[in-house]
This record gives sequence, C-alpha cells and structure tokens, in this order.
Amino acid sequence: MTDEMQTLLDRRLREAIRHLPEKEPPPDFTARVMTELEPRPASAWARFRMWLSRPIRITVTPARLAPVLVCTVAALLVGGWFGMRSTPHTAPSMHAATLPVTFVLRQSAPEVRSVAVIGSFNDWNADGYEMLYDASGKAWVLRAQLPPGDHEYVFLVNGDRVMPDPGAALTRNDGFGNRNSVLFVNPTNGQTL
Amino acid sequence: MEESREAEAIRDVLRGNPRAFEMLVRKYERPVYNLMLRTVGNEGHAADLAQEAFLRAYEKLGTFRNGKRFFPWLYAISLNVCRDWLRRQGRDPHVYVEDANRLAEAGAASQQDTLQSRLDGRRMFDAMTKLPLAYREALVMRFREEFSMREIAQALDISVSGAKMRVSRGLDMLRKQFTEASDD
Repeated sequence: MTDEMQTLLDRRLREAIRHLPEKEPPPDFTARVMTELEPRPASAWARFRMWLSRPIRITVTPARLAPVLVCTVAALLVGGWFGMRSTPHTAPSMHAATLPVTFVLRQSAPEVRSVAVIGSFNDWNADGYEMLYDASGKAWVLRAQLPPGDHEYVFLVNGDRVMPDPGAALTRNDGFGNRNSVLFVNPTNGQTL
Repeated sequence: MEESREAEAIRDVLRGNPRAFEMLVRKYERPVYNLMLRTVGNEGHAADLAQEAFLRAYEKLGTFRNGKRFFPWLYAISLNVCRDWLRRQGRDPHVYVEDANRLAEAGAASQQDTLQSRLDGRRMFDAMTKLPLAYREALVMRFREEFSMREIAQALDISVSGAKMRVSRGLDMLRKQFTEASDD
C-alpha cells in the first residue's frame, strides 16, 4: 500500500470511529444507579455551614414575651427621645427605598396547605411573608417590597418543605446540594424574575 | 461552563448530597454503557458493568483531582471495570496484542472502493470489537471522544508516548482487518 493510500485509509478509519454506532442505555439506567448510592457523610465543616444556614423557627410564649416587650418599648422610647433631640429630619424609610415584587407559585395540589417565601431579605423567616391562594389563578401569590439588588429565596411549603421557585430564571447553589432561586430587583426596571 | 457545573456537582456529592451525582450519570451513561457493550457484547451485562463503573466512581470521588476533566477520569475507572470482568471471564485483555512490525502491509489502491463500502457502521463495530481492549479504547478515546494524548495516557495508566503508540498500533490492526477483508 502506498503512503498516499494509507493516509486516505487512515482518514476513513478515523471518520468511521468518530461515527461508530452506539446504542442507548436502558431507560431506567440512571434510576438504577441512583438507588444504589449510599449517602456519603458530609464533613464536619460542611455540617457546620449547613447548621448556620438552616432556617430557625422560634416558639414564643406570653411569659417569655413580656420581658422582651418591656425592654423593647423602653428602648424605643429612649431612642426616640434622643433621636428627636439630635436629628431634626428623618432618614429615608426602608419602604421608600424598596420596589414592588410579586412572588407567584402556580400550585393547586390539595396537599399544599400553606406557602411562604423565605430568603436572604427576611433572614429565611416566613413571618409576614405568607402567600395567599388565588383560586381563580390557581396560584399562591405574595406581593412584597424589596430593596434593589439580588436576593436568594425559596418557597416554604406546609411549614416544613422548601422548594426553589419553578418560575425563576436563575438558581444558585446554597453550598449544600440545594438550590435557591435568585431574584434581581432592578431600580430602573423593577422586578426581574 | 459545563466543566464548572460538573465540578459543582462533584463538590455537592462530597458534601453529602448523593442526588448531585445524577447529573454526571445522565451525561455520561451513554459512552460508558457503549464501552461495556463493546467489551461484553451483551446489553444486560453491559448495563450491569456500566452501573458498577458509576458506583465505583462514586466511591472514589474523593480522589478526583480538581481542575481535571471528569470524563477521562470516569473512563479510566470504567476501563478497570472492563479489565476486571475480562479477568473474571478468564480472558487476558492483552492476549491479542500483536507486534505492529508484524502487521501486514496488505491492501492495494484498486481495493479502496471495495474497502470504503465495507466501512459501514455494523462492520466497523465488529472490527472494533475484535481489537484488544486497550487498543480499541485508545482509538475511541482519541477519535470519538477527542481526548488528548495525555488524557488517554492517564486513562490507560501508561506514558504519553505509550498512548501515541497504542493509537498508532490500533489503527494498524484496524487497517489490517479491513484490508484482509477486502482481499476475500
């Protein structure tokens, strides 16, 4: 075989290898592999970070609340008095610097009894961020005011299950295998979901 | 971008989230399964061996070095699963190795058209399965998966010059098969 012929043949062989016929793996292959995986214990550092970022639920009883309320009212009175004396004008309120944002979760499953939005803007605390069910739109809705910038959030379903926003354009890894939805609040264009 | 997503998935698995491994399985199940199919020639066994390869990769994930490509690393593990299977079957994966110098200089210019007609997918697949594992997969890694010679060397646990030799000899063997077939 001449060098020229061998070069031609090698080129054809390389092409044939590139287009070597392949078969699809069984449709349940991934599921089979995943069911066999043993959980790997996370490192101590990873567990510590997970503990730090976990949402905290605090139960308050009237007996515990009374001294806190007394201290808070006293602090407000003292602070207000000093504030009136030292600052004749008021700082812009948080509300004035915020922009309207609407969270929507299209979910009409009967097992979903409550949904709230928790995120970086409310310290992952659902209080005051409960969504209302809109029967006509078959969706859970919350209208809120948020400062400009990017915010991470998830939906808290039935008080104990978190899920990212299926309608969010962008998600971000929380460092522990879960994804948070990302919301950009733009001062010029408002909400960008 | 793709590699950073893979690196992220690997980090997630190492932090204790096995679900993150699913992305890697979905992405590479096809080439790994076909590697097994070329080795065992049976779809059921190929699926079992491919599963074994992924489970072994999952177990060894802590040894994966950041900055490297995941696929060549996975391929190396899959090749080891193939070798273990061949050993269990009592087939030495190296018994077919031939000295490249003895490979025939067969073939003629007039036979090329006949040869081209023989290079269809089925015949190519058959010809490839007749090659020894290390040579066959060196060719696949080089020309189908487009691994670098360094990546092939790492997957086969040989030197870079050894990898070049494997590819070259693999082509020699393949050429011989087709030119002999053309003589029939």
